[in-house]
Amino acid sequence: MIETFLSYLNQNSTITAMVNIGSMVLFFIGLFGLLTHRHILRIFISISIMEIAIFLFFIGSTFNKAFTAPIVEEGYTNIAVMNDPIPHALILTAIVIGMAVFALGVSFAIEYHKLTSRTDINEMNEMGES
Amino acid sequence: MNFKRDISTKTYSGFALSALLVLTILNVLLQNIPGKVERAGEKLLELNAQEGVANAVTTVVVYFRGFDTLGEIAVLFIAALGIGLMLSSHSKVPHKEESNFILQKASKLLFPVIMLFGVYVMIYGHLSPGGGFQGGVIIASGVLLLLISDQNFEIPHSVISALETFAGIAYVLIGLIGLVVLDRFLGNFLPHDISEMGMLFSGGIIPLVYIVVGIKVGSEMSLIVQNLIKRNDDD
Amino acid sequence: MTGLIILSTFIAVIVVAFAVVVQKSLPDAIILFMGVSLGSVVLFFVFQAPDVAMTEAVIGAGISALIFLMALKHFKEER
Repeated sequence: MIETFLSYLNQNSTITAMVNIGSMVLFFIGLFGLLTHRHILRIFISISIMEIAIFLFFIGSTFNKAFTAPIVEEGYTNIAVMNDPIPHALILTAIVIGMAVFALGVSFAIEYHKLTSRTDINEMNEMGES
Repeated sequence: MNFKRDISTKTYSGFALSALLVLTILNVLLQNIPGKVERAGEKLLELNAQEGVANAVTTVVVYFRGFDTLGEIAVLFIAALGIGLMLSSHSKVPHKEESNFILQKASKLLFPVIMLFGVYVMIYGHLSPGGGFQGGVIIASGVLLLLISDQNFEIPHSVISALETFAGIAYVLIGLIGLVVLDRFLGNFLPHDISEMGMLFSGGIIPLVYIVVGIKVGSEMSLIVQNLIKRNDDD
Repeated sequence: MTGLIILSTFIAVIVVAFAVVVQKSLPDAIILFMGVSLGSVVLFFVFQAPDVAMTEAVIGAGISALIFLMALKHFKEER
C-alpha cells in the first residue's frame, strides 16, 4: 500500500503537477496579502513572497529525475545527463536585483515616516484626495 | 482575522475563480509536451568544456553573458547610492544600549571564521557552487555582526569608497583589454587548457572577474547595512 | 522518495506563508518570512540547482529579513 503510493508520487507527471499547483497557490497567497493589508512594510513582504513563488515555478519546470547538477566532478563527467545551466543564471540575477529594489523601497518608507509619521497607505494623500 | 480594508464577497469569489482558471490552464498546457524537447543548454555545456572550467553556471554568468552581469552591478550601485543619499548625515551618534556579554565575546571569535569562509566561497567559485555574489554577501553579514555587538565600530567611508572604485574600474579594464587583444569585449586572453580542469589556476580570466565582482558586491552591501544601523540624532 | 520530499516541503512552505499573511504583530511576520525563504532553499536543492540554493540562502534568509528588522527600529522610535 505504502509502496504503490510512493511509486505513484515518483512519476514525472505527478511531480510536474505538484510544482505547478504549489507555486501558483503560493503566488495567490502573496497576492491576497498585497491586496488586504494597509501597513506599507507588510505590502513589501507580500511582494517578496510572490517573487519566491515565481522562482520556484521557473526552476521546477526544468526538473527531470534522471539529471544531475551542471558541475563536472570525479565520477560525473557525462554531459548528456546534466541539467540546463541557463535558467540558473537568470534566476541568480533576478534574486540579487529583487533584494536591491527591496532595500531601496524600505529606505523610502523610513524617510517618509520621518517627515510625516504616517505608515497607512490610505492616509498618504498629499495630492488632496480624501 | 480582521483585515481593516473592507472587501466584499464578490471580490473573494472572483479571486477563487481566477485562481482555479489559471491552475487548470497551466496544467493542461504543460502536460502535452512532445517527447524530446530541444534544450538551449546542450550546446553551451559542450562549449563550456573548451574553456576548462568545472562549474557551468559560472561560465554562463561571467563569460557567455558577461555584459548582463555588468548591468546587474550597475543596478546594485544605483540602489546603494540612493540609500546613501537619504539615510546618511554628518553627525552620527552610536545607539544607546550596550549589548550583551555573550554577544560581545562571541562575535570577536566568530568574525574571522565568517570572513575566511566568505573569501573561500569567492575564490573557489569556478570549481564548486559559489561565486562572487554569495561570497560578497557573506562578508557583509560578518560586518553586520560586528556592527551590532560593538558600539564604536565603524568602517571609514574612504576605505569602502576606494574598494568600490577599484573593483568597478578593474571590471571594465579587463573587458577593454580583451577587446584590444582578441577583438571581443570580455574575451578570454589568458591561457585556458582543458587539461587543467579542476585546478585552482584554470579558466583564464573567469576567476579574476568573479573575484572583482565579489569585492564590489561585498563593499556595497557593507555600506547599505552601515547606513541602516547608524542613526543621526536630530529628529 | 523524491516525490514525498517535494510534497511535504511544499505543504510546509504554504502553511508558513499563510501564517505570514494572517499574523498581527510585525516582528513575528518577519521571522516567519525567513522560514519561507529557508523552505524554498530545500526545494531548490532537491531540484538539482546548488548555485541558486546557496544564493537564496545567503540573500533571502541572511540579508533581506535583517534589513527589515533594522528598518523596523527606525519606525518604532517616533512613537
